[in-house]
Amino acid sequence: MNLIECRNLTREYHKADTVIRPLDGVDLDVERGEFLALMGPSGSGKTTLLNLIAGIDAPTAGTIVVDGVDITRLSRNRLAAWRSVHVGYVFQLYNLIPVLTAFENVELPLLLQKLSRRERRARTGNALEAVGIADRADHFPRQLSGGQEQRVAIARAIVTDPTIIVADEPTGDLDRPAADDIMNLLTRLNEESHRTILLVTHDPQTAGHADRVIRLDKGRFVSDRRPESVAEAPA
Amino acid sequence: MRQLPFEYAYRNLGRSRVRLFASLLGSGLVVLLVLAAAGFIRGMQLTLAQQDTLHENVVILGAGSEESIERSQIHASVAGIAAASIAGLREAAGVTFVSPEIHTALPVWASADDDQVRHAMMRGVRPVALLVHSEVEIVDGRPPRAGFDELMVGGIASTRLGLADERLAVGRTLYFDNRDWTIVGRFSAPNTVMDAEIWLPITDLQIATRRESSLSCVVVTLDTATFADVDIFAKSRLDLEIIAIGERDYYRSIAAFYRPIRIMIIVTAALIAIGGLLGGLNTMYAAFAARVREIGLLQTLGYTRGAIVLNLTEESVFTAACGAIAGAAMGLLFLDGIAIRFSMGAFAITVDAPVMLTALAGGLLVGFVGAIAPAARCLRMPITEALKAH
Ligand SMILES: Nc1ncnc2c1ncn2[C@@H]1O[C@H](COP(=O)(O)OP(=O)(O)OP(=O)(O)O)[C@@H](O)[C@H]1O
Ligand SMILES: [Mg+2]
Repeated sequence: MNLIECRNLTREYHKADTVIRPLDGVDLDVERGEFLALMGPSGSGKTTLLNLIAGIDAPTAGTIVVDGVDITRLSRNRLAAWRSVHVGYVFQLYNLIPVLTAFENVELPLLLQKLSRRERRARTGNALEAVGIADRADHFPRQLSGGQEQRVAIARAIVTDPTIIVADEPTGDLDRPAADDIMNLLTRLNEESHRTILLVTHDPQTAGHADRVIRLDKGRFVSDRRPESVAEAPA
Repeated sequence: MRQLPFEYAYRNLGRSRVRLFASLLGSGLVVLLVLAAAGFIRGMQLTLAQQDTLHENVVILGAGSEESIERSQIHASVAGIAAASIAGLREAAGVTFVSPEIHTALPVWASADDDQVRHAMMRGVRPVALLVHSEVEIVDGRPPRAGFDELMVGGIASTRLGLADERLAVGRTLYFDNRDWTIVGRFSAPNTVMDAEIWLPITDLQIATRRESSLSCVVVTLDTATFADVDIFAKSRLDLEIIAIGERDYYRSIAAFYRPIRIMIIVTAALIAIGGLLGGLNTMYAAFAARVREIGLLQTLGYTRGAIVLNLTEESVFTAACGAIAGAAMGLLFLDGIAIRFSMGAFAITVDAPVMLTALAGGLLVGFVGAIAPAARCLRMPITEALKAH
């Protein structure tokens, strides 16, 4: 069974008399452990699709089944609870909370779960370790570089051990070396920890890290291919 | 519902010193203001409501002057006739509790060469007045003797006159009717109109006001008699043109006369408080609006709107509480006991438990309402839009 199954997914915005349709009836299956990159011109609907799968937006039509649950049928509060367990979101602009330290930022999603303080701290420590930023645990976001902030944000996304990690242009604000660092980190998380990752990017080199690349244009898929190098990797 | 740590709310306070200061000042001022207004009304209420005294007094005054003792004129003989005609008045050691009195406002001066006229509430009494008005207690000196140009002053008479309290110490003088009068005693009658008055022997005041054969009123204390007995006496002596009115009823009707002032104070205070509230709303709205993206993030992580509103409210109420405590402390320090004069006399701003609670509740309300509305506004935005905010 596929981990994610989207059917006839449509998102419309109604403005006065006009209807804007950033996503126009797409079907998408994603397997567990897959590393999927979404590409396409600006405004093609990449973020829209990602947000729908992440459960922070609701489709106008269609269904999204993740791990057997149709998330389009969940109430607002249930959906929030679902996100806290199943989704790790990585943003282009990190979105760390400025008044919390790196450690506290990573710990934040764990406060939503029933864990002992001890276990919470251990898991937070492990996540910071995994992204190689444990030595900056006590720093506030303003004391970190962009690349380091994004590492903390990735630690925050993986700390709950979510079913899927979604990343919307996570390297969009970083220079090449920092971007490569982040992509290597995501690739490692995919290969070593078998995490399912959905990544939005404009950059072909960044997309090259993925198993599979889908191109969107005007809310529809225009291509769906697996780069040769990794073509036979997923079963 | 899983909550956000209070720590987070607390740390958010440090984000902008200016806002923190504005919030503290806002709630502090609202508390101070409510304290002042409520304390003012409370003081006025206590003064005019005439707390239950040990005994019940009935005032006999001129028919047609029910609303003002100062305007009343009755014949000096009413006191004697009342004492003889009404059975069941209180007595002690052979003295019947019948107090003939003159109530009048007189211009006085601090001294002969003082050119500022001050209006004093004067009460001409006999010694029996101290029995009839059991709330009055001499706290310094002694009662004035007739014929020696002596007087005694109430606890907040100085406020009424606009003089420093020391200026009315025993041994000092006041000037009126072309001569100096020596203050020989001080009395206290807290929360009554008498506390703002100057008392002197009735004969001296009769001479000073040239009303030898008339009184303002006669106050009697009931023992076995009831109000009806005094009322019947007043109504049956048509020749004296008098009426009887319960002392408490009299002050209640005066309180009613001051109701418009009270309403004006409440409305003014409410308007200023609403201003404070809007200011608070504005600072909180600005503070939360700057955090819209963060609020979007918290929702993305799985925090419910309720949890986020609660946290933002905690932040705001905590600040408001700090400001409220500061405002309340200042109010207690600077407002409580301040005497205010009004046409009838004077009364003290009273900061007691109900007044304090009202004020603190006002301060907290500012914090609560100040947070709820802006927080709700920020949370109505779809998460995807909130995440795009900068
Ligand atoms: N709240 C909204 N109201 C109206 N239109 C919207 C809204 N959000 C997005 N859109 C429209 O949906 C379309 C797709 O937006 P989306 O953010 O998914 O694009 P994208 O592929 O992520 O682009 P980019 O690469 O620039 O991030 C755009 O045309 C955009 O104007
Ligand atoms: Mg986008």
